Amino acid sequence: MLIPHPLLGLRDSQEFTYLGDASLMNRPDPSAVTAEADFCDYVFLRDNPAGVHRELWFHEQGDRSWLIVTRNTLTHEILGAELARDLPARGAK
Amino acid sequence: MTDLIPLTALGAVDARTARFGALTLTEDDSLGLASLTLRKGQAAPTPFGLTLPEVGAMTTSGPYGAFWTGANQWMIIGAGQGTGDFAALVHAEAPNASITEQTDGFAAFHITSAAGPDLIPALMAKLVNLPPAAYAPGHATRTGLEHMTVFVLRPSDTQISVIGMRSYAASLWHAISVAAARLEHVPV
Amino acid sequence: MTRLSGGLIDRKAPLGFTFNGKTYQGFQGDTLASALLANGVQLVGRSFKYHRPRGIFTAGSEEPNALVTLRSGARAEPNTRATVAELFAGLEARSQNHIGPLEHDLMAVNDLLSPFFAAGFYYKTFMWPRAFWERLYEPAIRRAAGLGALSTLPDPDTYDKGFLHCDLLVIGGGATGLSAALTAARAGAEVILADEDFRFGGRLLAESDLLDGAPATDWVDRTCAELAAMPNVRLMPRTTVFGTYDHGIFGAVQRVADHLPDPTGQVRQTLWRITAKRSVLAAGAIERHIPFADNDRPGIMLAGAMRAYANRWAAAPVRKSGDPVAIFTNGDDGHRTALDLLAKGVPVLGVIDTRPAVAAFGAYQVFSGGTVTGTKGRHGLTAIEITRNGQSSWHNVGALGVAGGWNPNVHLASHHRGRPVWDNDLLAFVPGADGPKGMFPAGAARGKGGTHAALTDGMEMAIAALSDIGVSASPIALPDTPDTPAKQSAYWYVPAKKRAWVDFQNDVTVKDITLSHTENMRSVEHLKRWTTLGMATDQGKTSNISALAVMADLTGATIPETGTTIFRPPYTGVSLSVLGGGDTGHHFRPRRLTPTHHWATAQGAEFTEVGQWMRASYFPRAGETHWRQSVDREVLTVRHDVGLCDVTTLGKIDVQGADAAEFLNRIYSNMMGTLKVGMVRYGLMLREDGHLYDDGTCARLGVDHFVVTTTTANAGAVYRNMEFAHQCLWPELDVQLISTTDAWAQIAVAGPKSRALLQRIVDGFDLSNEAFPFMACAELTICGGLRARLFRISFSGELAYEIAVPARYGHALMERLMHVGADLGATPYGTEALAVLRIEKGHAAGAELNGQTTALMLGLGKMVSPKKDSIGAVMSRREGLAQERRRLVGLMPVEPQSQIPAGSHLFTKGTTQNMETDQGWVTSSCYSPYLNSYIALGFLEDGDTRMGEVITAANPLEGQSFEAKVVPTHFVDPEGGRLRD
Repeated sequence: MLIPHPLLGLRDSQEFTYLGDASLMNRPDPSAVTAEADFCDYVFLRDNPAGVHRELWFHEQGDRSWLIVTRNTLTHEILGAELARDLPARGAK
Repeated sequence: MTDLIPLTALGAVDARTARFGALTLTEDDSLGLASLTLRKGQAAPTPFGLTLPEVGAMTTSGPYGAFWTGANQWMIIGAGQGTGDFAALVHAEAPNASITEQTDGFAAFHITSAAGPDLIPALMAKLVNLPPAAYAPGHATRTGLEHMTVFVLRPSDTQISVIGMRSYAASLWHAISVAAARLEHVPV
Repeated sequence: MTRLSGGLIDRKAPLGFTFNGKTYQGFQGDTLASALLANGVQLVGRSFKYHRPRGIFTAGSEEPNALVTLRSGARAEPNTRATVAELFAGLEARSQNHIGPLEHDLMAVNDLLSPFFAAGFYYKTFMWPRAFWERLYEPAIRRAAGLGALSTLPDPDTYDKGFLHCDLLVIGGGATGLSAALTAARAGAEVILADEDFRFGGRLLAESDLLDGAPATDWVDRTCAELAAMPNVRLMPRTTVFGTYDHGIFGAVQRVADHLPDPTGQVRQTLWRITAKRSVLAAGAIERHIPFADNDRPGIMLAGAMRAYANRWAAAPVRKSGDPVAIFTNGDDGHRTALDLLAKGVPVLGVIDTRPAVAAFGAYQVFSGGTVTGTKGRHGLTAIEITRNGQSSWHNVGALGVAGGWNPNVHLASHHRGRPVWDNDLLAFVPGADGPKGMFPAGAARGKGGTHAALTDGMEMAIAALSDIGVSASPIALPDTPDTPAKQSAYWYVPAKKRAWVDFQNDVTVKDITLSHTENMRSVEHLKRWTTLGMATDQGKTSNISALAVMADLTGATIPETGTTIFRPPYTGVSLSVLGGGDTGHHFRPRRLTPTHHWATAQGAEFTEVGQWMRASYFPRAGETHWRQSVDREVLTVRHDVGLCDVTTLGKIDVQGADAAEFLNRIYSNMMGTLKVGMVRYGLMLREDGHLYDDGTCARLGVDHFVVTTTTANAGAVYRNMEFAHQCLWPELDVQLISTTDAWAQIAVAGPKSRALLQRIVDGFDLSNEAFPFMACAELTICGGLRARLFRISFSGELAYEIAVPARYGHALMERLMHVGADLGATPYGTEALAVLRIEKGHAAGAELNGQTTALMLGLGKMVSPKKDSIGAVMSRREGLAQERRRLVGLMPVEPQSQIPAGSHLFTKGTTQNMETDQGWVTSSCYSPYLNSYIALGFLEDGDTRMGEVITAANPLEGQSFEAKVVPTHFVDPEGGRLRD
């Protein structure tokens, strides 16, 4: 596969390490009353759609950027890629 | 000065060099390397007068050079700075940035062609999965080479440099020299 | 000899070769198949199941029959198609799958037993007893039904690999491909033209068509010369594009030296990974046959192949020159073969045409409305039975060409779930619209098979493909050639009582398909698996459509309703050697060497692989005959004097930035932000699920500058996870991360005399306990000005330091320490001693941090700080983990000289041993030379409250059981005085 790196253009997927569902960016608030349940969902429950999926790829043999790649898991068509750090901060303070 | 005698990444006192027809492969142990990363909100400094290059590019000025390695991050190179405290020099030039000593983190190999520029892509096609435009003169990029992570720099049309992690130096030399030997027949 | 005049062979370059030990002669330009045919050899092999005599059936890579073993010794290469094996001087070829001589195969008895070998035979027959499968049935079947045998010797050749990038990849170098490549090349696009043949031209070489009134080779040669001269074109003959992968990536094998008599010293094959922005699939078409009774005799071949042998290779497909040839066809195409053979002086009995009232195109007889209903000839065809209007007659012939129409070669277009679609006009499957993105099928590969149509379509598809990427290409002047569209007809097979072969390679007949249908294998996928049709090395290239037609007849459905089969990579067989990429032995994967690697090698060290690192495991001395002697000595040196160990392999990550301390607080479970400058702290990292992930030290070199160490194994992953936390979770923090593992040579200096040793190399640095206490760190100079980092940390429990210098000085520093420490007993130690020392001290390592354990279990529950958030903190407190009762303990075997194997399970003494009574397991085990006893670490339920209890450690795998006393994890210096003094 070729990953359209937002800075570097098309790069072979062999340069990347795959992580999975981009929801891993949405780390729950550890101080919430429901923190334990929230983290349980966060850690163990992932979507695994047959179709369009937002997922995390790390450009390990490249510029070390984490990307959010939108990919159709059925066709491997890639609909876009963004730099994770450009997205609104999602981590709990 | 210390009386300890340094060894090159390939484990000898003197840097190794080898010729394969029109291609010459040289180990360079004289490069000082330091990474420069901008702090949050910091404007790009101009260490040694270098304008830090754009994405995927490299630049040189006298004995110094810089190439892009990531967002807000560059590697600064100093020829002849292999045994000094190059990071300290860079730090003095860019006191507000995060500087990390990298000189001995890497092994640098230069490949020069005496048969014109075409031999460089012919060699690289056996080593890295990049279109030649990605290593055109003035470009610098990081990629995989035989499962090792390397920087590929193209200072000129007849030279290319591969900078890999120091511990992989022997494997990297093996990979490059095997590929170069297969182009040995190309006339100078 | 049945060699004809003309052809594209070099008669000035004769080549001697052998087949089954007999010497023959061919010419440069021959394939093994053409050379055999020119020598009158029709019989080249035995069939897979029935051991029927078989001959050459095709003139290309779709060949189902003519599989031979080329060369001998270590280079013996089984299952090579004679039809694509380029002839070279001294080529040795042998037929396969027979016992005894090819002409008198002892296994031919299988043919007489054929009623027992029908579809599904294996499944029905070899059902029981079950144990017989591995011992009897399978070996016997493999011997009887088979292909060639491997040499089992190491491959003596070298292989290469590479990566190519282009605007347009043109797959196939026939009329379509050449036209496409020329169009694209003239537009300035980067073009790769690949063809599996050793000569470009495709069917243009096999046909007698004229281009611009001249032989087609004139145009082919001119075109190739123009392309070869263009810097933006790469011509790749002998290159099979074997697979289509995502986003325009293709796999291709270039046979660099397969055609050379002696490939020694050369790369034999190169594996190319080609990334193409667009591709033109100009793979041509594959001729189909018409099954009829006894249609598998040597001498029966595809009529298009017959034409290719006559025109390109000047070979008549008969055993004796002058033997007449017949053609069996269902369309006009078969008549072309008759005309071309006549032009070459080959007598033609006539053309049997299934269509009524067909007129001859030349001076030969036409058997209109006729079919072939039988054949004779034991080792080669001698006669055929022609049936017309219910009347049958036998005719002597030396060969029969079968022309059932052409199937677009859709293979590569269907690798991405691209379903071929039925073209009712063409009566064939063509690539569907849902094929691989960016691939433009063209010419015969999409049913535009006439020479004129192919040339035009190649050009047009190249223009369309380039337009897709914003490159404007102009039409080129194409050579003039008559436009001769040929209509295909739907005559699929001749009904017969006798066996009529559909798939020659797998010995599947019309009867087998009928039987499968009777046995309710209605889906074509079931049919494939029940009969093995289309599943051999040729993937049914010549048989799939015929099989579908038979199926369709049986079900009363149309062919597209019956289905199709999807082709998968590879297009033709690819050797494992070339897929391996070339490097073998210790070059098979890269290795990481430590800065003291060469020094350790010179000391005679034994090495072990840790990830990709080569680490010294121990340093045997003269007189030591067992590794334990060396390891025990190294351990005791550290306990009593001073030992030196290269620990460069531990991951090192430089962490800087205004928020570095806060960032590390969130990464480590324990508090890091409070660490004072100049101090080091041990840290735990958890996974977000609350389990332990990694441990290491964190040194604070400045207010906003830390150096983090990781375990050797997790160095890459910890860095990646820290980047994840930085970029994805907390991008607002001002943190900069750089991996610097390789930059520093780090040597552990451990033992009571370590301070005395280091004192001899530091440049006036105060090493006293007051100035540089336990867990201190500093940047300093040593050996007359070399900058270094010193950490007072201990893995062994002794007074110990780790000193880091720029990697290039690691070797010299080790030599210097050994030299100046000789009188102190300085001794190198390896990973074995390192492991013993840490077990003696009760430090956790990989066996304790195995992904299933928690800080609580290590007795480090307090290291998960409740005062802050960190990765894994919330989940570490969840139900189940918080109530975890197993604790790390030390175990002393009651019998000191018996080793409790790691992995043994722990039980209360005297209880029954089962899952319910299981109380934990042994993680690490070693011999402690310090205690003169084996010792172990393990997780035990309520272990922290069971000190002194004797428990049972069981290893039921080997029937072992041990009694062991529960003790604290610190076998050495439990108060920790030594490392603090």
